[in-house]
Parts: sequence; structure tokens; C-alpha cells
Amino acid sequence: MSSARLALLIGLLLAFAPAAQAGLSVSNDRTAIATKLGHKFVFHSTIRNDSTAPAGGLVAHLNVVDLSGHTYVDPEDWSSHRTRYLAPIPAGGSTTLPWPMNAVNSGTIGVYVAVLPRSGAPVPPTTGPTLRVRIQDRKTLNSGGILPLALGLPALLGLMALGVRFRRAR
Amino acid sequence: MVVVAGQELRDLWLGGRGLVLSFALSLLLSVISYLVATNRALNFLEQRESVNLTLQVAIAVGALLALLTAADAVSGERERGTLESLLVTPVSRLEISLGKLLAALSLWAAAFVITVPYVWFLARGVGLVGNAIAVGLVVGTLLAIFLASFGFLISVFAASNRVSLSLSLLVLLALFVPTQLPSSAQQGWASDLLLRLNPMTAGEHYVGKIVTNGHAWSQDISWLVSPLIAAALFAATALVAGARFTRLRGGASG
Amino acid sequence: MSAAITARGVEKRYGSLVAVADLSFEVEAGEILGVLGPNGAGKTTAIRVLTTIFAPTRGSFDVAGSPHTCPTEIRRIIGVLPESAGYPERQTAVEYLRYHARLYGQSRLGARAVTKSLLDEVGLGERSRSLISTYSRGMRQRLGIARALVNEPKAVFLDEPTLGLDPAGQRQILSTIRRIAAERGATVLLSTHLLAEVEETCSRVLILSRGRVAAQGTVSEVARQAAAPRSGRLRVPREHVESAIAALQAVPGVEAASADGQPGLLKVTLAQTDGRPPEETMNAGLRALIEAGIPLLSYELEGARLSDAFLAMTEAL
Repeated sequence: MSSARLALLIGLLLAFAPAAQAGLSVSNDRTAIATKLGHKFVFHSTIRNDSTAPAGGLVAHLNVVDLSGHTYVDPEDWSSHRTRYLAPIPAGGSTTLPWPMNAVNSGTIGVYVAVLPRSGAPVPPTTGPTLRVRIQDRKTLNSGGILPLALGLPALLGLMALGVRFRRAR
Repeated sequence: MVVVAGQELRDLWLGGRGLVLSFALSLLLSVISYLVATNRALNFLEQRESVNLTLQVAIAVGALLALLTAADAVSGERERGTLESLLVTPVSRLEISLGKLLAALSLWAAAFVITVPYVWFLARGVGLVGNAIAVGLVVGTLLAIFLASFGFLISVFAASNRVSLSLSLLVLLALFVPTQLPSSAQQGWASDLLLRLNPMTAGEHYVGKIVTNGHAWSQDISWLVSPLIAAALFAATALVAGARFTRLRGGASG
Repeated sequence: MSAAITARGVEKRYGSLVAVADLSFEVEAGEILGVLGPNGAGKTTAIRVLTTIFAPTRGSFDVAGSPHTCPTEIRRIIGVLPESAGYPERQTAVEYLRYHARLYGQSRLGARAVTKSLLDEVGLGERSRSLISTYSRGMRQRLGIARALVNEPKAVFLDEPTLGLDPAGQRQILSTIRRIAAERGATVLLSTHLLAEVEETCSRVLILSRGRVAAQGTVSEVARQAAAPRSGRLRVPREHVESAIAALQAVPGVEAASADGQPGLLKVTLAQTDGRPPEETMNAGLRALIEAGIPLLSYELEGARLSDAFLAMTEAL
């Protein structure tokens, strides 16, 4: 195919492709977060409506992705409030959403917010920038330290029970 | 009441049965905590879930032991032939009932005390020790009071000790079954209502929210309503029934 | 002196079944009342009503002045050994008695002291720290009696205390019961179906049959109520047999006098419609022999035994 024909095809595709939600943009209050395992953190995302008409029927959704390639991510573990149904945003207005999260695993994850219509119309969602979150590992459980407890307490109770039995039997 | 409770406690603990049961519980908790502690793939949430599991086991076992001890309280004395000697003393039936209930609840108290070091070990790394111990104590005590009172109530009226123990176990199983249903079966308002009404499922849910999800105590406080009401209602009923209906013969002819 | 135990028309009914009906009696302090009756006569039910285990359907009773409407007061002043009482197997006798002493309001020190003295009294002092599970039946009954005395009761109710014991054990228990009444001045109500126990131990007897009182009174009064043949046996020197028979037959109230097999042994039958107590008629016969110069070697008034009365009355109802 000649380059002219290719350009025409792309132009036609773009012309007839469903348009992204015009005028909507998503931004975060931070670009990166550093925290420790087990800590909670919060970031805010602002959804702006720069169009000339109110934007209604929108839903914002939080997504969590492992960036390091070896961190197990179950989004529900990281945040239990990942879907927000938005009130109409007036023309030129905005709405800011807080996203509280739990750092349940160490590693590096990417977090982003996507806004899409509730109607399910086939338009690409409006996404915000990726928030890079680095979670520092910390030792939360001393596996070696369990043995004295795991063995000691039953042994103590067992000895006490035996002692009482022998004493009664005498 | 102090005399009756004191003797019941002596029979339970110095007689050896209480210590044997406590030993069995500590063995169970040791296995759970060892498996958790040596699991290198454990993530933060799973550690919280392990604390939750430990608490749920302790509450379940402690409440079970309290239930079974209470279910033997009156019907067991009847069968052993020792009830009549107790009834001819000037101690009121209410004092006898209260003493026996307190002795049954001592098994929950012991279960809780045994659980504390395990919870401390598992929860300290995730900053959960105080909250976990406190919520375990509150919910476990409410459920233990409810179940012990229920078992005692059955014991007062049961025709035999076997009936009393069997019925108590059956009811406990019925209360526990919904906790094992898959989450898909727990959707919908009817299911939600049943889970809230059942003191066992409501208590288990509340502990889970505090320990696993890190909720504040007030966030899910409505789930504590049924355990609270069940504890108060059954305790009062058990004491009134014990005071009025503790008789030489159980069953319909009693 | 007011009676220690008074019952007035006590009835216990279970629906249409009347377990005890119109039970009325009085027992004085220090007396031992034997409650006799066959199995199912209502003895245990009667005791359970009097010891406030069961509430009477009708009637009233009081124990040492405490009315049946104040069961707690009655329980303070009675001791009870129930029929087939059970004992906690994992306790020692000391622990068991101390517990019961404390239930009656004794202090720890007081309970300790009374426990030691009671266990010594019933012969369990040396085995006081053994588990009750190692006790024989007789030892358990003695422990039960000790428990019944732990509060220095004014009235003691013993339901079949010798059940399942060998003769030696029975003798020991009965001896203890007599001591309770004599030394402590307590009123004892002893329920049993063994007539020998009642004859040996009790000053008064009450016979129950099918829930009703068949007879009550002293042992001899109750025995006399039976329509049993009344007779006596005498022994005189064999050369005086004929003259003795003649002398006896001349006494009013003597129906017949005859030799009874063995040399010198005479049987005297007393008239049933005489109206006089048999002892009086017999005394008249003895006087006749003495006046006739006939030596009397032995004599015994027979018939009208408690067992005769018991069988007669419990079959009649």
C-alpha cells in the first residue's frame, strides 16, 4: 500500500473511531510514593471537565499493577474502595477523590485511575498518570522465635495437667 | 454463689479436666502459629488473616468448651445423683445456677489467656496486638456468655445428659455452618440479615473487619448488636430458668 | 413440747397419679420414726416433700417450727441422706464435706473442724483424703450420713440408708442412727422396707401403702393392730404338765392350753374376742400357775409381730 493510501486509511479510522470522553482529564496530587510494608497511604486524583457541557454518568476505578514482576498483587487486598460512581461534573468543574490504600506487599507497584461512562459506551476510558509506589520490606514475623512458644506453652500446660492427675491419684 | 463457683472451679481445674482441655487448645494454636510463622511467602494481609484465624479458633474453641461444660451443669448432676444433695441445702437455685455458669465461663477465660501470647507473636509485626486482643476479648466474651447460657438452659430442661450435650452441639453446629458458606452464597439482603442475626457469624464478621481489614471499631459496630443481645438475653433467661426450674427430674415430667 | 415434725394432710399428685395422699403424723424431738412400705408405696416421695425437694399438692407440714412455706428455713435445719445418693468421684471425703459445710454457711475454719470430727465419728477418719471413687458402698453411706449431720440438723431424713449393705454394714449404720437421736437429740425419719431395722431402731413406725397411711404408732401398737393369732409358749417341769394345763384353761381369756411336742412345753392360745390386751391375759395365766405351785421355767408371748401387721395392712389397701 502506498504511503498516501495508508495516511488516508488512518485518517478515516481516526475520523470514525469512537472519540475519547472529550474534555475529561485525570491528574494525581503526587507522582510517586515511598512507604513501608503494612502502612496505609492516600493519594488524591482530580477529574476535570474542560468541556462546555456537564459530564455525568461517570465511574472512576482504581487499578493496581505490579511493576517489579515479582510482587503478588490482588487489587482487593490493596484497596477495598476501588470503584466510585461520580456525581455530574459541571462544565469547567472538577471533582477530587481520595484513594486510601494498604501496602500489603513489598516491591514496586503502579497505580492509576480510569474514568469511564456508566453506559458502557465503547469509548476509551480517560486515565490518569501512573502513580509509582515503592513499598519497603520489613521483617514482620520472626519465624525462629515461634518455637519456644509453640513448644513451651503446650509443654507447660501438659505438665500441669499431669501434675494435677498424679496428685489426685495419690 | 462464691462457695458453689469456688467448688465448681476446683472440680474443673484441680480435677484436671480444665488443664487437659487447655493443653489441647494450646497444641492447636501452636500448630497454626508455627505454620504461619514459617511461611516465607506470607504477605502483610495474609499475616493479618493469620491473626484473625488464630482469634477465630480461640473464640470458637473457648466458646465450645464453655457450652459443653454448661450443658453438663444440671443434667450431669442429675445423672450422677448429686443434685438432690445440693437442692436440700439452703443455697438458692439462683446461686447454684450462677456458680455453675461462672465455672463454665472460666474455660473461655483460660482459652483467651492461652491465646494472648500467640496473638502477640503473630500480630506484633503488623501493629495489631492491642486491637486484636481487645476485639477478641470483647467478642469472645459475648459469644461465650451466650453459648454457656444456652447450654445451661438446655441442661436445666433436658431429660438426660446425653440429650443436653447432643442438643447443645447440634445448635452450635447450626450456628457455625453459615461461616463456611462461600461468599457468593452470602450476598443479598436476606443472607446479610441472617448473618447479622446469628451471633456467631456476626461476631466472626466483626473480628474479621477489625483485624484483617483494619476497620475502626465503630465502623461495623452494628454487627455487635446480635452477640450483645444474645449474651444478655440468654444469660438472663438461663438464670431465671435455673432459679425456677432446677428440679430433680428433667424433661417434660420435671 | 411441740412436735419436731408435723404433717397435716400432705398430698403429692402428678396429674391423675396420687403418689402420697393424706399424710398426717407427728414426731417428737429425739424420736426415730420408721417409715415402712413396700416398693412404690410413696416413702421416697413423702421424704422429698418433707425435705422441700417437691412442693406438696395439698396439705401442710412443718419441721422444728418452720412451715413448709419457708423451704429455705427448713433446709437450714434438716439433714438428708437421699436414696441412691451419688457422690462426686473426683473429690475426697474431706473436700466433699467441707464444701457442704460451707454451703450451710460455715466459715472455712468451722468447715474444717466439723469435717474432721464428723469423719472420725462415722469411721472414715483414716480414709478421709482418699478419692470417693475408691470408697465401698458402706463407706459412701457413712459419708452420706456425715453430710446429713454437717449442719447440726434438728431433723434427719434417711431414705433407705442400709440399702445394698451387708449385715455388718447395716448394723453399723443403724448404730450410728441410734446415736444421732440419742446424743444429738435430733429427730430421725428413717425410710426403709426392712422390718427388722424398724423393730431394732425405731420408737415409732408409720406404714405407707399405695401412698396412704395404713397404720402408725409405736411398734407394739402397730403390731397389735394386725389380726394375728395371739398365743404364748410356756415351759414347766414335765411332771407338772397336766396340772399346768388345767390351771391355764381355768383362766378367763385363755381359749386353749395344750402340750406342744417337746417335754414340758405348753402352747397357750388366747381368745381373740376377749377384749383384754394379750399381756394381761397371759399375766393372769402366770398368776394361776404360781398360785397352783407350778414352777415356771420360761414363757414367751407370740404372734402380733410387726411383720404380720405390715403384710396385713399393705395387702389390705
